[in-house]
Amino acid sequence: MSENASPPTELFSAAAEPELNGRRCRACGYVFFPPQSYGCEYCGAPGDQLEPKALRGAGALASFATVHLHQGKDMEAPFTVGVIVLDDGPAVRAILTQRTDEGLKIGERMRAVIVETNSEGARARELRFRREETAR
Amino acid sequence: MKKTLRQMRPVYVAGIGLHRYQRMSDTPYVTLGLTAIREAIADAKIEWRNVESGYTGTAFIGMAASRPMLRHLGATGIAIAQVENASASGSTAVRQACLDVASGLTDVSLAVGVDKPGPIAGAPGKTNIHDLVGRRVVPFTHFALLANEYMNRYGATAEEVAMVAVKNNRNGANNPYAQRQKAVTLDEVLAGPPISGSLTRLQCCPVGEGAAAVIVVSDDAIDKLGIDRSRAIRVTASVSRSERVYRGAKNFDAELTRETVAQAYDEAQISPQELDVVELHDAFTIEELLYVEAMGLCGEGEGARMITSGAVDIGGKCAISASGGLLAMGHPIGPTGTGQVAEIARQLRGEAGVRQQPNARTGLAHMVGVGAVCVVHVLQKDS
Repeated sequence: MSENASPPTELFSAAAEPELNGRRCRACGYVFFPPQSYGCEYCGAPGDQLEPKALRGAGALASFATVHLHQGKDMEAPFTVGVIVLDDGPAVRAILTQRTDEGLKIGERMRAVIVETNSEGARARELRFRREETAR
Repeated sequence: MKKTLRQMRPVYVAGIGLHRYQRMSDTPYVTLGLTAIREAIADAKIEWRNVESGYTGTAFIGMAASRPMLRHLGATGIAIAQVENASASGSTAVRQACLDVASGLTDVSLAVGVDKPGPIAGAPGKTNIHDLVGRRVVPFTHFALLANEYMNRYGATAEEVAMVAVKNNRNGANNPYAQRQKAVTLDEVLAGPPISGSLTRLQCCPVGEGAAAVIVVSDDAIDKLGIDRSRAIRVTASVSRSERVYRGAKNFDAELTRETVAQAYDEAQISPQELDVVELHDAFTIEELLYVEAMGLCGEGEGARMITSGAVDIGGKCAISASGGLLAMGHPIGPTGTGQVAEIARQLRGEAGVRQQPNARTGLAHMVGVGAVCVVHVLQKDS
């Protein structure tokens, strides 16, 4: 359970306006997240063709679900998962800052925020998303 | 030159057998598997020594599962292998057995699916690629997200999605091999407990243990072994695909099914309108709506109406998951895809009893596996 209890920080930059560390394929232009350097799943270009591409932590909510049953000790249910289509292209799945889906509407603006977590005694920072109107 | 299954030697399902899908028990996998295989051999009215190769579809019971099971049928020295393709393991075992017979390598091959829930971790978690959610998004949340998106896009209600569980449990109540054999009302489905998003417990398939076996044969075997030709069901397509990057597509799960099923229709030379029975991957209620549309059984966004209209009930235009599907029959992983082919063959023989779809002549079995793969078989009764 430990590998994703605290997602590695290289997934995002911990700035005030956090960005997601995406990748762009030099060969075909495919932009994706999460980052990896094995090879492009769209055109097959090798990993050295995959260059960093910062993705702004802003987008539109495409789907959401409140999880009522969760076996991992890393997080207590209920919590809510959202699919956010980033303005910079890729759709990402993220934990939302609000525990339930109350008031959420598909299509509404979402923004990335960094939250401090303390799961299984380990302090970590996670990138989550919140509704833009409630952000800061 | 490339060939389709239909252009090779004809392949027929001649024997089917199952061990009931059930909650995890102390029953060894050997007992589960042998029960299904012995039933399939008896059904085909052949002998074990006639079987020339065997594929064991399994995901959880571990390395080298075949020989410790098959030797108790008499160790005849046949070619054996384990087949793992996530939820589509049993479907892939059927495909391998079909390819053996179609190619002429064997005249009689066995596909058996057998599994017991186990602690083996899947490889996709071992790629060292991390995302923002990790194991907080398990399959039921993946499909809860798809359900939320679907309902929003087409104005379908949570009740309409839940009706899939009502229909499939009604069918499963009449299937002695099903894990859930009890009809449920819509209120009971909606009552929960809630799992994720709009999905409640009864909208998620039970994962237990069980076994299913299918014996496939050539024309030569039918003649040589005196197999009843009227009960042999031809496999006219066997297609296996994996997910591509569907740029611009709304839903990758539906898209993978759409292109795999389209290839199967093409290879079998049928249209969706010809399907009388379908067993599809309804691990979660929303999947049935997505896949009936992807299969072309109705238009985009019409899946919910199709389910509630009765068109896919037994006795309707095309019976979907007459067995009870994964939702009621259960999803023991390894056996599931093999059991689907067994149900389709039973239906096309006209031997499904109270679950019988009238005049069924053409059927399709569809399984999806995480990772993501899709395996589709088309079966047809010779006219």
